[in-house]
Amino acid sequence: MSYPLDRRSFLRASGATAAAAALGAGAALTSCSSDTSGPVTLKWWDYFTLDNFQPGMNRLIKDIEAGVPDVRIERRTFPFAELERQITLGAISGDLPDLAIVDNVAMNTLGSSRLLADLTARVKKWGQADQYYKGPWEGCQVGGKTLGIPNNSNCLALYCNTRMLKAADVEPPTTWDELASAAQKLTSGDRYGLALSAINTEEGVFQFLPFLWQAGGDLDTFSTYGATALTFLDELIAKGSLSEQCVGWTQQDVNTRFLNQRAALQINGPWQIPTLKKADFDWNVVALPRDKEAATCLGGENWVAMANSKHVDKVWEVLEYTQRPSVLVPYLVAFGELPARKDLADRGSWASDPALRLFLSQLPLARPRQYGAHYAEASQAVAEAEQAVLTGSASPSAAARTAAGKIDKALGEQ
Amino acid sequence: MNQPSARRRRTGYLFCLPGMAFLALFLAYPLLYNVWTSVHDLDLGQLLGGAERFNGLDNYRSVADDPAFWHSVRLSLVFTCGSLLLQFTIGFALALLFARPFPLNGLMRSLLLIAWLLPPVVSGTLFRWMLDAESGAYNALFQAVGLSGLSHDWLTDPSTSMAGVVFANVWVGVPFNMLLLLVGLHTIDPELHEAAAIDGASAWQRLRHITLPLMRPVSVTVLLLGLLYTFKVFDLVFVMTGGGPVDATRVLSLYVYEVFFTFFRFGQGAAAGLLLLVVPLLAGVWYVRRLRREDEAPAGGAV
Repeated sequence: MSYPLDRRSFLRASGATAAAAALGAGAALTSCSSDTSGPVTLKWWDYFTLDNFQPGMNRLIKDIEAGVPDVRIERRTFPFAELERQITLGAISGDLPDLAIVDNVAMNTLGSSRLLADLTARVKKWGQADQYYKGPWEGCQVGGKTLGIPNNSNCLALYCNTRMLKAADVEPPTTWDELASAAQKLTSGDRYGLALSAINTEEGVFQFLPFLWQAGGDLDTFSTYGATALTFLDELIAKGSLSEQCVGWTQQDVNTRFLNQRAALQINGPWQIPTLKKADFDWNVVALPRDKEAATCLGGENWVAMANSKHVDKVWEVLEYTQRPSVLVPYLVAFGELPARKDLADRGSWASDPALRLFLSQLPLARPRQYGAHYAEASQAVAEAEQAVLTGSASPSAAARTAAGKIDKALGEQ
Repeated sequence: MNQPSARRRRTGYLFCLPGMAFLALFLAYPLLYNVWTSVHDLDLGQLLGGAERFNGLDNYRSVADDPAFWHSVRLSLVFTCGSLLLQFTIGFALALLFARPFPLNGLMRSLLLIAWLLPPVVSGTLFRWMLDAESGAYNALFQAVGLSGLSHDWLTDPSTSMAGVVFANVWVGVPFNMLLLLVGLHTIDPELHEAAAIDGASAWQRLRHITLPLMRPVSVTVLLLGLLYTFKVFDLVFVMTGGGPVDATRVLSLYVYEVFFTFFRFGQGAAAGLLLLVVPLLAGVWYVRRLRREDEAPAGGAV
């Protein structure tokens, strides 16, 4: 057997799956017309696999099926790290959902991939864009188009073990200098003053970027301000206030250290609150300490519709429905998440819970990681620089210079 | 017997057909598709838009220009050589031990095999935990026996993380080496050893002049199988360190994975993936040619 070497022939040759793939690729090119006769089944993907998310998700889906006419939801979940990859692989094999809830940082890759449906006109007609916080909303805008709707938002803040702070006579830090001296005073025995995640994945970068921004820089000025931020963390390690082990810690590991009272301060997000509420010690949350400016990193998820879906109009109906306060508030409360909408700030559990209120008050400051299609490479360069400095294999200025070269190359390729 | 009839030959081919179909579908097709991808400019947007462009050897060139690629090649060689040397030596020593009859020999041998039966993800997770600086079993053990000088942040120190993953991989590989080498030892005629002993050869002389030469064909096979497994290892390293700290354990397979699934540079990933095939392929070709030479050698030359 001999095949001419072109992709479509190859795909056809591998049988039924391939045929589906060719159709999928074809459908992605044609604009989507909806056939709205009878109930429509929408394929829905997300990564909320943990047990404690299921009741809220099931309720939301039941609510949608009852509230949006003629719609059935067929939900599939993937592990967190798998979803974006599955969507990419799905694009090749033709197996894609109609809608998905994706990590907001995935908008970098997906936004420039032609995979996502353009919702600009629908959003304009809907007229609720100004109800959202700036960061989350801008995170959904790629190349002048609206490619998603924020699902929920989160950001980072500083958790303090109040008893330890009181015992060491330390106030919650508000600046870098105060953070450094507080972390040092709170370090004793096998307890570190501060815990944060510096793992060589996006998780570590999510925690590092606020330091870069607080120093007054951004990815395009990394060689200068990256060095400032790296120096600050390097000194924390040198003084023993931060464990060198943090280069292997996920945010979950960091929270475990804090829960075991082996860290007096930790940088983490609001998703840890339900676990921390079960802790047998007192804690509170304050804004991340500032340097030149105050900054925190925006996390959370966005709703997206797939461009090749035959039911984009129906998906939009669903999305619009989920954004009604009567649907959104109970859903976010069940998930322990914060709203991305300003008009919900005084409702839900975040209206009364002081920790959630603090996080909510930081959302206007929270910056999305929106750097375009090649962000992943820039992100890896940042993670490597941080790891090199914290493990003592490079000086902050050298590491920042190396990383800046890689970042400029990656972000220059737009 | 005379030549098989045409009919019998046809039947023979018929039996081969399912196997060949399987190979074509699951080996030849992906491999050729990979070759096709490796000579095209193909990222996510281009893949979906159908705008892929033939770019000849550009992908290979940019892979070869990437210092991270060569770094990962070096790491793969260190990982492979270190693992092979240790697991073969330890496996051989254990095989010699288990070749002698002693109580509970069978039981202990089967217990050792469990290491090899565990999925790499499981053993990787276990070792990540055991090598952890604060809560790990090894450091606790060192401290308990008064050797706290030996406790160390094995996996988060770039200068020792490679040793950590090699250690875990050796642990996984030793039982397999032992088992094959043990089978090889059993094929050596005991009379050879008896005769040499009567002639006054010491145990060391018998090992050196009888066992080792006769074990050479088995050893080559064991080492080749080890090379094929070790060079492409992914799961164990991915679970233990994710390639870090910094890039201290980013072996070639992790590099390829990253180019594909983190950066979505499909063309370059395919090119690097094909280069990942080169080392095992060369080793395989060498082995097959060697086998043929041995087949042609006069009888008695090989076991």
